[in-house]
Amino acid sequence: MATLQSEAPPTTARTPNARIVKRKRSAAQRLRHDWPLLVLALPVIVQLALFFYWPSAWNIIAFMDYSPHRPFWENPFVGFAWFERLFNDPYFVPALLNTLKFAAAHLLFLFPLSVVLALVMHSVVSTKVRSTFQSIVYLPYFFSWVLVVTVFVQVLGADGLVSNWLMSLGGDRLTFTSNPDTFLVLAWMQWAWKDAGWGMIIFLAALASINPSLYEAAAVDGANRWRRMWHITLPGIRPVIILLLILQIGGILSVGFEQYQLQRNAIGYQATEVLDTYVYYRSVIGTEGASFGTAAGLFKGAIGLVLILAANKVAHRLGEQGIYQKS
Amino acid sequence: MPDSSSAPLRRRSLFKVAGLGAVGAAGLPFAAACSDIQTGEGSTQATEGFDFLPEYKEWPLPAEPDLVGDPPNHPSGFTSYPEPVEAVTEVPSNSGTYEITVPFWGEAPSNDDPYFAALRDAWGGTTVNLRQADGNTYADTSVQWLNANEYGDGILLFSWMLGSHTNFPETVVNSFYDLTDILKGDISGRWPLLAGLPTQSWAQSVWSTDASDPESARLYGIPSTFSGGPGNALFTRVDLMEAAGIAMPTTVEELLEACREWSDDANGKWAFGGVDWILPQLFGLVGDEGWSWDDEQGKLVNDCEKPEFTEMLEFRRTLWDEKLIHPDAPTGTLDNGALQIAGTTLFSQENPVRWYDYTTKVRDGQAEGAIVPVPPIGAKGRKPTLKASTSVDGWTFLNKDLSKEQVEELLDVANWCSAPYGTKENELLEYGVEGEHFEYDAGGNPVHTEHGQKIVQAPVNLKQYSGKVQRFLTGIPEVVQAHFEFNALCQEFIVPSIFEGVRIEAPAASKSASQTLNDQQNDIAFGRAELSTIPDMVQTFLDNGGEEARTFYTDIYKSLNEQ
Repeated sequence: MATLQSEAPPTTARTPNARIVKRKRSAAQRLRHDWPLLVLALPVIVQLALFFYWPSAWNIIAFMDYSPHRPFWENPFVGFAWFERLFNDPYFVPALLNTLKFAAAHLLFLFPLSVVLALVMHSVVSTKVRSTFQSIVYLPYFFSWVLVVTVFVQVLGADGLVSNWLMSLGGDRLTFTSNPDTFLVLAWMQWAWKDAGWGMIIFLAALASINPSLYEAAAVDGANRWRRMWHITLPGIRPVIILLLILQIGGILSVGFEQYQLQRNAIGYQATEVLDTYVYYRSVIGTEGASFGTAAGLFKGAIGLVLILAANKVAHRLGEQGIYQKS
Repeated sequence: MPDSSSAPLRRRSLFKVAGLGAVGAAGLPFAAACSDIQTGEGSTQATEGFDFLPEYKEWPLPAEPDLVGDPPNHPSGFTSYPEPVEAVTEVPSNSGTYEITVPFWGEAPSNDDPYFAALRDAWGGTTVNLRQADGNTYADTSVQWLNANEYGDGILLFSWMLGSHTNFPETVVNSFYDLTDILKGDISGRWPLLAGLPTQSWAQSVWSTDASDPESARLYGIPSTFSGGPGNALFTRVDLMEAAGIAMPTTVEELLEACREWSDDANGKWAFGGVDWILPQLFGLVGDEGWSWDDEQGKLVNDCEKPEFTEMLEFRRTLWDEKLIHPDAPTGTLDNGALQIAGTTLFSQENPVRWYDYTTKVRDGQAEGAIVPVPPIGAKGRKPTLKASTSVDGWTFLNKDLSKEQVEELLDVANWCSAPYGTKENELLEYGVEGEHFEYDAGGNPVHTEHGQKIVQAPVNLKQYSGKVQRFLTGIPEVVQAHFEFNALCQEFIVPSIFEGVRIEAPAASKSASQTLNDQQNDIAFGRAELSTIPDMVQTFLDNGGEEARTFYTDIYKSLNEQ
């Protein structure tokens, strides 16, 4: 059979025993060679330095009795005193447990929902139905939490649409938006409405990268819809699923702020207090000062780092790329 | 009001008050227990007995009030509008431009309105642009502005906003201009109206650079008006009560009955939209920062340790269980004023300013009926108690980076703004430009136009930039008369502060514990926790800052009363 491939280049120029010697280039040579790449990277480096690394350096105030009115180095170092105060605060552990609870629920009940939505969407053939459904599901992602919570209160609140309808039928008011026992369900409903569409879009993008000929070949071989999904679709988007999972695990203690803060009064602090609201009420508008809030933030960051490294390690063990290529 | 020698303060010598400097600054036992952390250990500041304040020189009032009270708790009032006279006869010639940060609630007026141009021309050419920020978050965000020195050339802070700051004395002495050298002694030549402010006002504008050293006290703020009397009241729609045949309650028990008679959950009618902060005083819980002296126990006790605290929570829980309060009350976001106007709720907890506002709305056809305050009432046959704050409303602090000349120019403006009711300056400041922001009614009283309500009446603007020589009840004559009579009625029930003459910043731990206690109260009030948990929540409060606070406040109390 004729081939379009050209002949391999002759290797006769190299003697059989010759070693390939890489010339080591000096820094100046590398700079001269790679300067366009460095220029391209410069804005990002500056942005990271200004808005991430420099502020991160200020985490040191977690170990100081910091006051903005003193010269920085005159602030006394107090070791882990702020962390000690943090861990001894009886309201810290409940806030941490709430945070973990919401993070786990988000991971277990919302993440798969986005995948399922994407798969359903992917299987819809009609472009019109698909784009309409996609818009409806995706749109709430752009709503602010204030709007989301307001809509839920207006519809499901004690004086909302459903309650008043129930009252007109002789029923009782709903207490769904003020009941701490069912807040997790309410929170899940709000996540599902607001965020599931966003996750769906990402997975749809991953699905689009799967070669359609694989489906055709599988169909010809007699694979039904479920087998195609199991053997082609899910493996096709597995790297994206793993990547998003790792990123989500890394930010597990950052479950959000507005959603909980906005509903804190209605539901009560015991069910809604998460680490971010705890820091807000104790430090930002509270009286514990900046060092206390920084200590809490640092604790959160350290836990997140450990989790993300662990998850990445697991991903590598499973043969996935993770968040960075294993060298 | 003449000067600082008001009755409640005479019982203590200045020496005792000056000795307070050491309390809370460094020597408290609990502070040492918190390792090396000194932030948030609390502080005290004497607010009387200084020899470096502006010398008081009475500024004769241009008109005598129609209703003569006993300021500050019972201010005098005007039921007719006096012919305004000129207060500042020698207007300075200035040209500086400054930016002052002020809060606003509702709609922020444009700096380009003719009102501000008229003010600039009237007080001598100084341009004061307002940097307006949302009043609902102002107290909290002001902490960051001050830390970053991003508040322009000055900032207005109401006294209730200081609670949001962790270590306000440190902020004051590091961020604001020390006015002592400029304002010390006789200032009546250049600033006669500032010299006419009560000495108490100036004394309450003092902070110490070193809290443990009374000698380091300095003057840092331009005081707003010195106020007193009941700052809050329980208002009711009297027309709705009459229509429903409900009598004005004279006890807390009658109040509950009135709530039951009025409320109809199925038809969207409730007695209250919110009741959390007016209720404690109805049950006699009027401790200063929650603390009051108990002679029997011989110690300071917190409101939450009293049996009345349980009674109050039982009352709140009854409101919830019997559906006498709006079902969305737990959200804390209800517009109680609007609900009361709509007739959805009967009662509202309000500042008396609301009385004037409501009456204006009725006059303009935006509301119906009338509201009046419920007279002082008590529970279980006890004598009613009322809380009154006799203090300056707040301060304008000037940026430490200003030059002396710039500060003097801003003090020229402050002097102009201190002109009391019955002067042309006050008329322009409080009512704006005639024909544009206000008109005279048939009785000769100035009445804001719709534009004037938006630009002049509603926003804070510069009306609180500096205090008036004397505060009066002014506005709609019939409301002034009724307000004056209400204040007279309240006098016998006002419980004086046990910490008069000292400004206290509570330890951070006790503030946090109080916040949690407040959250837990809401849990009980809205059915999320049982009444039986009250002893536990009180114990939690005491274990996590309450006992520390008791030690802190006891030291102050003893310093004031037992030396």
